Amino acid sequence: MNKTVKITINGEVFEQSVPVRMLLSDFIREVASLTGTHIGCTYEGVCGACTVQVDGEAVKSCLMLASQADGHNVTTIEGLAKDGKLSPLQQAFNDHHALQCGFCTPGILMNMDEFLKVNPNPTDDEIRTGLVGNLCRCTGYAHIIDAVRDAAKRAR
Amino acid sequence: MSTKPGANWVGAKFNRKEDHRLITGKGRYLADLSMPGALHLVFVRSEQAHAKIKKIEVSAAKALPGVVMVVTGEDIKTKIKPMPQPVVQPALAANYPKHWPLAVGKVKFHGEPIAAIVARDKYVAADAAELVRAEYEPLPYIGDPEKALADKSNRVHDEWPDNVIFQMTFTGGAEAEKNDAEVDRIFKSADVVVRQRFKTHRCGVTPMETRGALMSWDDSDGLTAYITTQRPHIDRLALSDILEIPAEKIRVIAPRDQGGGFGVKAPFYREPMLVAYLTRELKRPIRWVESRQEHLMAVSQERDQIHDIEVAASKDGKLLALRNRGVADCGDGCEGVYWGFLMPFLGCVELPNAYDWPIGDVKLKVAVTNKSALSPARAFGEFPTRFAMERVIDMVAKKCGMEPADFRRKNVVKHLPHTSITGEYFDSGDFVKVWDNLMNQVDLKGFRREQEAARKQGRYLGIGFGLGVELSGVASELLVPMESQPGYGAATVRIDPRAKVIVFEGDAPQGQGHETTVAQAVAASFGIHPNDIVVTTGDTGTTPFGSGTIGARAGSYFVSAAVMACTELKRKIARFMIHDLKVENATMDDFEFADGDIVFKKNSNIKKSFREMVERIIMAPINMPAGESGGLEHTAFFEAAKPMICFNADCAKVEIDINTGQFKILSWTTSEDVGQIINPQIVEGQMQGAVVQGLSNAMFEQFVYDENGQQLTADFENYKLATAADVPEIKVTHAPTPCPHTPLGSRGIGEGRPSSVPGTISNAICDALAPFGIEITELPLRPNQIWQKIQAAKKKAAD
Repeated sequence: MNKTVKITINGEVFEQSVPVRMLLSDFIREVASLTGTHIGCTYEGVCGACTVQVDGEAVKSCLMLASQADGHNVTTIEGLAKDGKLSPLQQAFNDHHALQCGFCTPGILMNMDEFLKVNPNPTDDEIRTGLVGNLCRCTGYAHIIDAVRDAAKRAR
Repeated sequence: MSTKPGANWVGAKFNRKEDHRLITGKGRYLADLSMPGALHLVFVRSEQAHAKIKKIEVSAAKALPGVVMVVTGEDIKTKIKPMPQPVVQPALAANYPKHWPLAVGKVKFHGEPIAAIVARDKYVAADAAELVRAEYEPLPYIGDPEKALADKSNRVHDEWPDNVIFQMTFTGGAEAEKNDAEVDRIFKSADVVVRQRFKTHRCGVTPMETRGALMSWDDSDGLTAYITTQRPHIDRLALSDILEIPAEKIRVIAPRDQGGGFGVKAPFYREPMLVAYLTRELKRPIRWVESRQEHLMAVSQERDQIHDIEVAASKDGKLLALRNRGVADCGDGCEGVYWGFLMPFLGCVELPNAYDWPIGDVKLKVAVTNKSALSPARAFGEFPTRFAMERVIDMVAKKCGMEPADFRRKNVVKHLPHTSITGEYFDSGDFVKVWDNLMNQVDLKGFRREQEAARKQGRYLGIGFGLGVELSGVASELLVPMESQPGYGAATVRIDPRAKVIVFEGDAPQGQGHETTVAQAVAASFGIHPNDIVVTTGDTGTTPFGSGTIGARAGSYFVSAAVMACTELKRKIARFMIHDLKVENATMDDFEFADGDIVFKKNSNIKKSFREMVERIIMAPINMPAGESGGLEHTAFFEAAKPMICFNADCAKVEIDINTGQFKILSWTTSEDVGQIINPQIVEGQMQGAVVQGLSNAMFEQFVYDENGQQLTADFENYKLATAADVPEIKVTHAPTPCPHTPLGSRGIGEGRPSSVPGTISNAICDALAPFGIEITELPLRPNQIWQKIQAAKKKAAD
């Protein structure tokens, strides 16, 4: 069964008939061809690599159907840099070597981007707690904490 | 010209070149690649651990609209040559199980592929997989490796006489019997003897990106195969042998971006074989992207070992002899390159660790069972043996009445080079310097005072130590017998007419930062900027042969090959300088490459820009020095004369709540000898990540099979990885000794690094619980099990 949905992703409108069972993560990757949103678990919402923002709120796009995002605004990792300029958080990830393989990184950035808007002055413990929905296998997290802390400082 | 490359970029902090695409969502991982008309392949996997296949009913799946093909083992067994094939078979004497990509006759573990669906849509392929019905006749589950070794009647591989895949004595060489008798004699007369069984659980380093393949076929060009792989050149040869396609008609490409590997992407697996076969059959592109559930059922499992260790020591704390009887559970063993047993094999080679053993008797038996074959995980095979060794060292120290730290310093290898009792060669370094640096960081005496005061308040603090001698690359001397593959590093350095440099490497990184590390080394060599260098990896169509990104080969072998190639090109450029500028009394060593210029050191007015010289040699090859030709490209192969190592020591401090068994890591401090650092942030990242992987393995992760061989941990809800909130801050410090056998003095680092972690944390916990006399001998470290040990100790004390 198909349904026509209209989803705005990074400011661009995608209006398309899709199977009702299509996941939002698949809509983003396959319909909108934005492959920065990654799938790292069996759609159980544990790894966090598919995290995007729906109307500004960080959500795991593998836990939503595309049809549930009908009429909503989605921001993906491709929408984080504005006019070709990295966001302070992205820049901090580069400066602090907060990524290695980079597979989990888009989800972490989309989560932490929202996190810093809600909590602009986080403690390290708060950053660590804010990251429990994102698994990273390479970094041991330390440099991610450094980057988020530094991005918060730069924003002040 | 100085043959010693400029050091300005070597050791400099420089933001990674890989990052921009990865933080903007422009990375290109396997699942992000597309080919027009690509079909989707989904595997159907066995629901049973050990059973005869009576029938596989595929008609309903075939009838589903959108399904293009359904195959089972019976369909392919005459079309694909079975494994093993020589290129992915070690030169070690072992039983190598015959197998095809899909089960034939019987299934041997829960999760083994039994059929494959090819469909136009991945949702349809998944639907069709649900319609496949397999009828089984269950066979007894073989799950205990020790029982499997003893039981000849119930076998994993029917054609074998028993369940022994591999056994070996690692000590004594040709005189093993005499050696063992001498070890027996020492144990009979030794002042101190400790005997203990150590057991480590099945866990691994599952990467965040699962496996996958995307392939196309062309009747004239052959097969183009994108595979998530650490060793594209080996995959190419193996696919050629299995499918009988001439090797020159196969191009394997490891995607530029791979989401971690840690060893898991190093074997030659069944799944890409089948994707390749069907791509050729259908002459249409096929993609397979592994689900996380498949991944956790089929691969990423390692560390499953048992070691009965005995140590003899003198009462003044000198190690006299080591005896070990190891048993490993390697699963069904059906896995190209490693066959499940190479990890425990290397684990035993590395068992002696950094200690100076006069003699030893080390033996290993590896059993096949009805579980997935062990696949490599960083700290390859040695995570279990390091755990056992670091724990037993503490137990022996205690029995000698010595501080474990003092005992380590006393027994660590003092003079390098050194060959261990199992034949492992340690080329260079200063273990005592690394150790002393660690001790300067951690204030042991102060901690002991704090610990004593805390105990009076009912608080239990502990300190633990661990060491790790790790491979810095894998020398041919080890890799040829172990994997039938060469150890050398290879790099092609091509300078283009606009004076940019392209480096080609046949290995396939998965996040280690090769693009940056190698760019820094090459930039230092030519005196140009790392941004003027492009590093291309993993494409067998363009890169020189390499055995793969394994065993910390980048900082040792690959970088060294790239620097050697640069040196050759600099010599050529210098010869043109001497000729063109008519420089008198000059040798090639009289030119310095710095800041984009090439300067005659004896007279700095004589210089040319790097770009001018490059253009002249490539684009204007006239009026040349005698015997020269134009062009600037060189391929170098690096191999040190002997194997190389890096070294580290760890210290953890913990506090345990004895009412719950919960423990908190108060601090974690490391001391490293990584030789000459090329990029300090990348080195730090490797260490941070490795320690956390070690902790995650030791504390959280565990693959669980029930009594029928059902694997119960096939998702991240049940197979728990450490999160940011679970792990401590780690302080990384350095006490380097440059490696004398590489051009830059660099060492390969990172692969073995998690191995010292389980012993270090366990030693800290046992130290905290010393008043209860508790010794941890098994992993994982679960608070409930620590609590039970405390209860048992309290009860024993009360009785």
